[in-house]
Amino acid sequence: MSEETFEHKPGAYLCGGCGIKDALDMDALEQAVSGGMMVSNVKQSDSFCSGEGYETIKKDIESGEVNQAIIAGCSPRVMVQEFNALGGQIFRANLREQVIWQQPANHEDTQALATDNLRMATTQARKAEPPQAHWDGVTSLKLLVVGGGITGLKAAREASKTGAEVVIVEKTDKLGGWAAKWSKFIPETAPYREPQDNPVPALIKEVEEDDNITVMFNTIVERTEGGPGEFSCRLQTGSDTKWDVFGAVVLATGWRPYESEAQEKFGIGKTDGVITDIEMEEKLAAGELDGVKNIVFIIPGDTDRMVYSSGVSDKVAIKQAMQMVENDSDVMAYIIHEHFRSHGTAEEFYRSAQEKGIIFQRGEVKKIDSDRTVTVDDELLEQEIPMSGIDLVVISTGMVPNSTNIDLEPSEKNPETLCDDINPKAPIFTVNGEEVEDPDADIKSCREKAGEEPPLPGGPLLNLQYRQGPHVPILANGFADSHYICFPYETRRTGIYTAGPVRRAMTATEAMDDAMGATLKAIQAMREANEAKAVHPRAGDLSFPEFGLNICTKCRRCTVECPFGAIDEDPETDYPMINPTRCRRCGTCMGACPVSTISFKNYNPQQVSDMVSAGTEDCPPDKPRILVLACENDAYPAMDMAGIARREANPYMRVIPVRCLGSVTLLWVKTALEKGYDGIMLLGCKSGDDYQCHFVKGSGLAQERMGKVGETLQSMMMEEERVQVNEIAIADSERVTEILNTFGKQIEEIGLNPFKGF
Amino acid sequence: MTAPIPTSKRKYDLNFARWVRDNVAGGDKMNMCMQCGTCSGSCPIGTEMEDGPRKLFMMIRAGMKEEVLSSNSMWECTSCYRCVVRCPRGVPVTYLMQGLAALAAKEGYAPKVENNYFSKFFWMSASKLGKTDERLVPTAYYFSFGFVEGIKRSLANLKIALNMFKAGRMHIGMPHKIRDTKGLQAILAKAREIEDRS
Ligand code: SF4
Ligand code: SF4
Ligand code: SF4
Ligand code: SF4
Repeated sequence: MSEETFEHKPGAYLCGGCGIKDALDMDALEQAVSGGMMVSNVKQSDSFCSGEGYETIKKDIESGEVNQAIIAGCSPRVMVQEFNALGGQIFRANLREQVIWQQPANHEDTQALATDNLRMATTQARKAEPPQAHWDGVTSLKLLVVGGGITGLKAAREASKTGAEVVIVEKTDKLGGWAAKWSKFIPETAPYREPQDNPVPALIKEVEEDDNITVMFNTIVERTEGGPGEFSCRLQTGSDTKWDVFGAVVLATGWRPYESEAQEKFGIGKTDGVITDIEMEEKLAAGELDGVKNIVFIIPGDTDRMVYSSGVSDKVAIKQAMQMVENDSDVMAYIIHEHFRSHGTAEEFYRSAQEKGIIFQRGEVKKIDSDRTVTVDDELLEQEIPMSGIDLVVISTGMVPNSTNIDLEPSEKNPETLCDDINPKAPIFTVNGEEVEDPDADIKSCREKAGEEPPLPGGPLLNLQYRQGPHVPILANGFADSHYICFPYETRRTGIYTAGPVRRAMTATEAMDDAMGATLKAIQAMREANEAKAVHPRAGDLSFPEFGLNICTKCRRCTVECPFGAIDEDPETDYPMINPTRCRRCGTCMGACPVSTISFKNYNPQQVSDMVSAGTEDCPPDKPRILVLACENDAYPAMDMAGIARREANPYMRVIPVRCLGSVTLLWVKTALEKGYDGIMLLGCKSGDDYQCHFVKGSGLAQERMGKVGETLQSMMMEEERVQVNEIAIADSERVTEILNTFGKQIEEIGLNPFKGF
Repeated sequence: MTAPIPTSKRKYDLNFARWVRDNVAGGDKMNMCMQCGTCSGSCPIGTEMEDGPRKLFMMIRAGMKEEVLSSNSMWECTSCYRCVVRCPRGVPVTYLMQGLAALAAKEGYAPKVENNYFSKFFWMSASKLGKTDERLVPTAYYFSFGFVEGIKRSLANLKIALNMFKAGRMHIGMPHKIRDTKGLQAILAKAREIEDRS
């Protein structure tokens, strides 16, 4: 960290293009910038994104006259690469999408909004310094793949193709896992109509011949320390252990068969000729099916099982039925289902099965007699149909994720994290007389709230030495948590990517796609770590949370709330201590800190607080002001899109994009109320088990924290409705305008902030 | 040679489904049916049918031979082809209806159904004369219900008959026939031969 003081040399560039100069008084803006905002270097152009205008900024930066370019024009979300290529620190005032495209031209309120946006941007620059790399030196670029099944094999091969060194750790003494046993695969290529050959043997051969890949059999990961670029893993083979350092981890531990009492009702394992689809695969591979003429596949509709089959068993049934009919055209194959799911290209597979004479019948199987007579309650005929003369009954099972190692004893340390709820409730407890959250009680209480799910069997896969516990977080139904709605391989442990059936039930074919995706992510993580940069979603970011320990109260909020387990307590001093490469730069710790002592060089509590003040500096006492703190990932782009669609918006909003709602500190809310804002709206991503929050827990934590603002408001004799939180998806551009405009009306009805003008 | 139809006494016999698949025209396509009901919903005679094509196919899958063959549905079908045009899965519904009617007739189920008489006389006239005779076919049909019933039905339609005479659509004298009835017989014989061959 260099301690030299940074000299701010701002330059403001007011762009009049895209119709901006027709809707705003540019000279008045220039006056405001050089006057009240105290930026002496102000320039205007009809286009700063190209040609002469662009060259002007470039010259200013290259000559050293300017090191912070404040560009007022289009949204910070467009022309990003162009402006970043200029070299200096870039700040943007959004005059296009969120001003002239949403407001009437040449109106005093429109002009005021534009001026405030510029003032907020200049304030932002004044309180920002260029971020610097926080570590140097080469970190590991070796990939650890846990699991040598089809997912692991594919992951290793893909990584090797990029030149990376790979170690596969396999629990058993064989490669290939379950998929190696299948005789045929569900089709992965067009026209998706015929079962395909099993690619596993060829894949195993490729891996064996690959010099970049080392396979360790009978091995587990006994302990993992560090973070991306520097994972130290103790690998245990029998009684031997060995330390190795890895850049990233792909977790491909696969699945085990689903077993339930419900299966007993069908007589699996008891009635001769009633088998599971997994046993059927083995029979097909061994060719033990001569003499089977009438075969029934049953896909039971119990929701318990369906969680673990998720459209997989349906495709498996099609494939197996097809293999039977292909082998012997005399075979009559029935597929009995309650809910058939053949999504995507499997629709073609389903059609092809029908054409081959496979009969699909909808109904619930009531019982299977000892002579294999299957009684189906046919919903369409409204009668129970006994199907007799069946030679073989095949019953669909499911894939239970190996998100723990069931061969191990459950871990003693923090077993609660197994059922880690996505939004821990934070009860109150006191340290040094101050009320803080109990870091150990919160997860327990949330589990109680969730109805006390029993912890899963087995021990941790990687045995992570993280404050948040040894497991890669596991969410609903025992699946390893991944950001499955938007970013499927991202977990809450930076640099560790889940792939394959450990994160959701999927076919072997899908698992290979998954392996490719996760591997690319892992490689990016290793490389970014090597350059001290963040990974998704702030890929390439060099900024970094710094802790002002002089005023830190050791409250542990930051360590508890960091969604990525990046902060530990220093074992000696108990102060927060960061594991730099795990950090995603979300700022959730910053939002958590009650004394606002966590900051980034270019994003910090005081800076945004000053921006909040700047947004209402020139506000006449009779005009409302609404502060919108919008997540830069989804909500802010949705608002931009509302501009593109020219939806008229409330002109009294002052919008500040934030890295994540999790980074919003109560200081900003307090400042806003004191500075006379009449309402505050926080816009973030979906929280909860089906979260879309890019930083997993940030949005949920923000809602949790804002829940407490009500009391503050009451103590200030203000209405609770003045502060609201809403969840916005990136496509919600219509909704976001509606929400904000409704909020604006609501605030008008409540009346202006009594503190206005003080 | 066509396989013999299964003769089991069971209400639900999967072998029947297999037999229809392999032996009835369009039976192999019946599988494509996804039970959407477009055919039954489109059928102008749907309300007259006991089951309608969709349900009939479901019953075949369940192997309900008795119910299927004694259903009136395929006899009510007018071969309008609406179902075929509209079926999203390309099921040749009309062929299947005709195939099932033929099967039912062959298996001795059909006489229970009135339409069968009409079909019989229609076919008699068409195959002998190469034309359907406006007096012969209805008269034979009416009297197949018995003498009294025959008189009753004939009288009920007398007015229509008189009007047809006036319009020149009906005539007195020998029934008209096509010129080359021998040729027609040869064609039919060949058709029968082809059918038996498959
Ligand atoms: S909360 Fe976010 S910014 Fe803070 S340490 Fe954790 S990952 Fe980094
Ligand atoms: S840095 Fe802030 S949040 Fe973290 S322990 Fe210190 S006072 Fe608490
Ligand atoms: S329209 Fe076609 S697919 Fe739909 S029920 Fe009728 S035959 Fe089946
Ligand atoms: S062809 Fe027959 S079954 Fe099809 S719509 Fe017409 S009458 Fe109904």
